Amino acid sequence: MRPAAAVALLAALAAAALLAEHVWAVAVVTAVLLAVCLRAPRGRRRFYLLGTAVSAGALFLLTPFIETIGSHPVWTGPIVPVLGQLDVTREEVTSAALNALRLAAVGFAFAAYALLLDHDRLLQTVRFARPAALATRLMPTLERDAAGFVEALRGRGMEVSGVRGRAALLSPLLASSLERGMNLAEAMEARGYGRPGRSNVPRPPWRAIDSAGLLVAGAIVITGKLWL
Amino acid sequence: MALARAECLTFTYPESAAPALRDVSVEIEAGEMVAVFGASGSGKSTLLRAFAGLVPHFHGGRFEGRVEVAGRDTRCVRPAELAGTVASVFQDPEEQVVLTQVAREVAFGLENLGAAPNEILPRAHHALAAVGAEHLADRPVAELSGGELQRVCLASAVALEPQLLLLDEPTSQLDPEGADAFLELVAELDVAVLVSEQRPRRVLERADRVLFLERGRLLLDAPASTAQEWLRENCPRWLDLPANGHVSQPREAVCRLRQVQFGYPAGLPVVDGLDLELARGEIVALLGPNGSGKTTIAKLAAGLLEPDSGVVERRGRAAMLLQDPSRYCIRERADDEVALGVRGDRGRAGAMLASVGLGGFEERHPRDLSCGERERLALASVLVVEPDLLVLDEPTRGVDPERKTELASLLHEGAERRATLVVTHDEDFARAVADRAVVLGREAVYV
Repeated sequence: MRPAAAVALLAALAAAALLAEHVWAVAVVTAVLLAVCLRAPRGRRRFYLLGTAVSAGALFLLTPFIETIGSHPVWTGPIVPVLGQLDVTREEVTSAALNALRLAAVGFAFAAYALLLDHDRLLQTVRFARPAALATRLMPTLERDAAGFVEALRGRGMEVSGVRGRAALLSPLLASSLERGMNLAEAMEARGYGRPGRSNVPRPPWRAIDSAGLLVAGAIVITGKLWL
Repeated sequence: MALARAECLTFTYPESAAPALRDVSVEIEAGEMVAVFGASGSGKSTLLRAFAGLVPHFHGGRFEGRVEVAGRDTRCVRPAELAGTVASVFQDPEEQVVLTQVAREVAFGLENLGAAPNEILPRAHHALAAVGAEHLADRPVAELSGGELQRVCLASAVALEPQLLLLDEPTSQLDPEGADAFLELVAELDVAVLVSEQRPRRVLERADRVLFLERGRLLLDAPASTAQEWLRENCPRWLDLPANGHVSQPREAVCRLRQVQFGYPAGLPVVDGLDLELARGEIVALLGPNGSGKTTIAKLAAGLLEPDSGVVERRGRAAMLLQDPSRYCIRERADDEVALGVRGDRGRAGAMLASVGLGGFEERHPRDLSCGERERLALASVLVVEPDLLVLDEPTRGVDPERKTELASLLHEGAERRATLVVTHDEDFARAVADRAVVLGREAVYV
């Protein structure tokens, strides 16, 4: 399947998860996307899956304390100044689960895009989006840079731990990304990027499976909106 | 008529007080191979960038004089328009890769030049074959070793069929055999080549002409045979590093690896049944081809990796210098960076900076330093912790022979206090610094 059709399918699944109203339906979509992500190599997928799981988990835990819906309390807590009485209702838990699953679905869809698709071919289809391809590479590069900084510090006898320790690496990570960006821009210019009259490697022909992928993507979105 | 020429070229980078190039005039004839030597920061990379048009177009700065390539004034044409006539391979291959798959990466430049679509992939494959990397065509770029990546970058340049090929330390990540093969390939190409190198011996054997830069000035422009005489007289260390005068007195073992096995996830063991002992007072060089597991052994010795089986025993504190000096750019001042390892003691950090030749650089931002200066900053950051076991992984990448000699002396000075393991491709440096060498073969370890 061409990457464009695969992207359409991933986007459709993410859209369906956002449009669907039932927790079970969103859970199924999320599970499908997770299964797709699990096809990626373990070492590379760990960062994406962990990030998505932590974000979705945090959303699930916080939502009941932010929302005030429902009349079936499952827990009643103390009265907190400014916030008032803390309580959690069944409806809030359901809403939290729905939102967390939606976030997880979008996260897994992005992970599948970043980990499994051939970005070179995808961006051959969408020619103006070369910067998007380079941006997509940013995450694994940042991950590698962060591991490099931590390893260099360990090599000097220092362990990086806790939020404060990791936060101290944000600034050098940003600087290293900017430096790499400049070097890459220079190399691209030296290789003729930006010159008029660009050509492309011939694209593989559009096949029936690609058309089917687009149709299924459309069907998934409509199903998500109307019946889930 | 010369293919490329610089006339009275003086160039100063923005926000820099001193010119990187001063009144440089040089001509390059079609088909000749010209080597550029000079200390770190002498202007070699800037000269190469001037011929690619990147200086001044990409970097800005003050440009005086004139540079012409194939009859075109580089001030009047953008670097992208010079691409095809000129092709460049930069120092760090990882920072010039755009796409994710090898064949398409090589095809990228051809697409930019507007080559006929049906010719692009065949030309990319032909270029890969020309540099002995056709077997990599379908591999993801992210899975390649540094040496493989350098070949792919050369293929990307060769695919453009340029008249002038600019190579900036192109063999810095290659083992001696790989470097020989790489330069042999370059010498066989029917193009003019301007190549800068810090390991001059191999290039000298193949170059037609040699340039030598010092602080931006061109001190030498001569045929290779004459250049060898000049170097012997004026910069002997560029031909031969001084012999190792250090007499080691190995004492107790600081690190012992016994029957160590290690493999990365989803891969074959990289290290299998290794025995190695490092004693206080000795400097051991670890040599071997690309991919033979040198860095992995170094990390096992330093405690950055744990073995799958076998035993690693260490006495005292271990410290390791990683290959990439940009990993030592965490703080915003050079002395603060070094002081990280000694609880912020700027006094000790300043003294250590001075001992690696970076006295006066205390307030500089680590990212403002040149490649060679960063390498020395990284070394200072590791040495300052006064380890019992010092492990250095490729400490001479981007370091000129003069600095290599100083580095060898620096390691000899403190050798009695610690055990030192130096992982390197640089055989000359290994000979100059080490008391013994461990050479990794594919089958065994020879001590």
